[in-house]
Amino acid sequence: MGDRHIYGGARVRRKLLPYLLLMPTYVIIVLFIYLPAYDSFYSSFFKVSVFGNRRIFVGIQNYLSLFTDKDYLASVRFTLIYTLSTVVISIFLSFFIALLLDQKVPGSRIYRTLVFAPYAVSHAVAGALWGFLLNPVVGHVNYLTRIFFGIQTQWLTTRPFAAYSLIFASIWKTLPFNIIFYLAALQGISSEVIEASIIDGTNSWTRVWKIIFPLVSPITFYLVIMSIISSTFQSFAIIDVMTKGGPGGYTTNMIYKLFMDGFRFQKTGLAAAENVILFFVMIIITVFYFVYGQKRVHYQ
Amino acid sequence: MKKVLVFLVVILTVLSFAKTKIQFWHAMGGWRIEVIQNMVNEFMKLNPDIEVEVQYVGSYEEILAKTVSAVQAGTPPHVVQLNEISTQKMVDSGVIVPVQDLVDKDPSFDVGLFLPQVLNYYKVGGKLYSMPWNSSTPLLYYNKNLFKEVGLDPNNPPRTYSELIEACRKLVKKDEKGNVIRTGITWCLYSWFFEEYMALQNQPLVDNNNGRTAKATKVVFNNQAGLNFMNLWNTLRKEGLMINTKRADWTAARQLFISQTVGMLISSTSDVALLMTESAKQGFELGTAFLPVPDGTPRGGVIIGGGSLWIIKQKNQAEVDAAWKLVKYLAEPGPQIVWHQATGYFPIRVDAIQKLQAEGYYKENPHHLTAILQLLTSVQNYNTNGAIIGAFPEVRDAIETAVEKMISGTLTPKQALDEAEKNANKAIKEYF
Repeated sequence: MGDRHIYGGARVRRKLLPYLLLMPTYVIIVLFIYLPAYDSFYSSFFKVSVFGNRRIFVGIQNYLSLFTDKDYLASVRFTLIYTLSTVVISIFLSFFIALLLDQKVPGSRIYRTLVFAPYAVSHAVAGALWGFLLNPVVGHVNYLTRIFFGIQTQWLTTRPFAAYSLIFASIWKTLPFNIIFYLAALQGISSEVIEASIIDGTNSWTRVWKIIFPLVSPITFYLVIMSIISSTFQSFAIIDVMTKGGPGGYTTNMIYKLFMDGFRFQKTGLAAAENVILFFVMIIITVFYFVYGQKRVHYQ
Repeated sequence: MKKVLVFLVVILTVLSFAKTKIQFWHAMGGWRIEVIQNMVNEFMKLNPDIEVEVQYVGSYEEILAKTVSAVQAGTPPHVVQLNEISTQKMVDSGVIVPVQDLVDKDPSFDVGLFLPQVLNYYKVGGKLYSMPWNSSTPLLYYNKNLFKEVGLDPNNPPRTYSELIEACRKLVKKDEKGNVIRTGITWCLYSWFFEEYMALQNQPLVDNNNGRTAKATKVVFNNQAGLNFMNLWNTLRKEGLMINTKRADWTAARQLFISQTVGMLISSTSDVALLMTESAKQGFELGTAFLPVPDGTPRGGVIIGGGSLWIIKQKNQAEVDAAWKLVKYLAEPGPQIVWHQATGYFPIRVDAIQKLQAEGYYKENPHHLTAILQLLTSVQNYNTNGAIIGAFPEVRDAIETAVEKMISGTLTPKQALDEAEKNANKAIKEYF
């Protein structure tokens, strides 16, 4: 009993302190992420009754039936088409809009504010908004096309327009986020580089593609990853509100299929298997991000 | 010792005065939230020892999903309102208290006063599992002013498919550029109408007497009766006589009718009250009629749709008793009449209908009468009692998906039926 003991206790305490402070985070992560994730893996090997009171072990049967299910494969295909077109169009469009907004023209602040507005709208509200605009009978879009071109389209209930509408609405929704990042990146490019290129006599096309685009490549890379994640995983609300995955399952993507199987048809085991598949998709994207992102992207 | 006794007495008195708290989850949005709250408030006034927490939880599907998670979490709600197609699922669930068990123990409650048309749907193997509550059937609504305008007899609505198609053709109106600005009919894209049309032709939807004498093993709608309705749907679509909505978009279908973009609407009888007010606002006269049948087919009947009240098992028997009291109250003639008048859902009891009839209510509200007559004149057999299938949501999805493919032109009516049959059978087989 003396100074040494007090000293030792303090040392232990100091070592423990960081863990103690991290405790609340750990508890929350374990409770809300690791345990459910584990449960998801576990359930994916079972056939579970509606109220979860009966379950049979079925091995990988859930996975097998998913990969032989025409509808599931269709949803994978639609996920690819939807994600690819949303991401590519959104990235290029936002880059160009950011270039324009970066110009020093009077009122550019007002344009910026207007362009950013969709970002403040939630996915569900955005879906509802486009649902109203594209309504075949009372919607503004059809009103205008009828007046100017004399055509009426069932935007949300026919192929391929349901997919077009969905992709268009999603791009509209994700655009502002990308623009903000591009704008910040563009403003970070030093004016000397640009001026030097002008003196060297490059035209603006070369300047944009050979100098500016490579300089913002870290942002492009980050945005591509974020857009893939958001259009794969956060598209549920917009699909649910706009097309409900229709017509005939045409606009059902993987996350919407998961929702239908899990929460409409109460097939917990099957939905868990779909969840695990999405988990692996996520892992691949993340690994790709860390590995490829460090190596290839040009950082200033 | 004395102190302990006093303490115990105090605790017991407090406990005996404590209110039993129960939860009631329902799916009736909009103005009906208030209607239900008021009915429950009345109940609490009569039963001061029971406190009911009423919650509008969202759609029937959401209630089911939330009930499943609440039961698994060990905090089940007491009374939940679920749609008719959840019946088999709930019977199989093992988490409910069958209403029949409570009825048998309660001499004050006479189930014989209920309409057999309603009771027969919710009885499985002769046993009543849930309390019928909000019951409706589809009904044909039409715009009498538009009928007059195009030379149709507003007092003679179409009774057969060919009369229906003929009326639709007359209702079409185009602008100078040739765009259709008004057309015949709409109903929302919902499998319920398909099921109703099987019963209307006196045909079952699934085998084993619609799943009522043994569990259903396959669907039996891929026949002439099924084809009749699909052909009608496809013809109306091809000729531009019908506007199709998104899946289960009841609001869109109603809007089309209220805005007079279509002259006719097939929708639930629970829309009667709403359509009466809205048509008056828009300045047109509302007409209601029985559903038209395929030419030359004898009329079978309509199936009860809507929802019923389920009592979920509880650890505390007092809570089950309180839940039963609430359910019993909501099915009494008084609340049933309030509910009927506010919405258009049927009063599900003979004595409630008699009371309304005696008061002359149906003379002033002919549309409510059409709805009831269509139900009362329905043939009563397994076909019109409605199918019970564990995998009913999947079967509906199969039918709706096939219909969507048919109206987008990728499948013919026959192919659509084939595909719906295949997917529905797969779902029935996989049900667990």
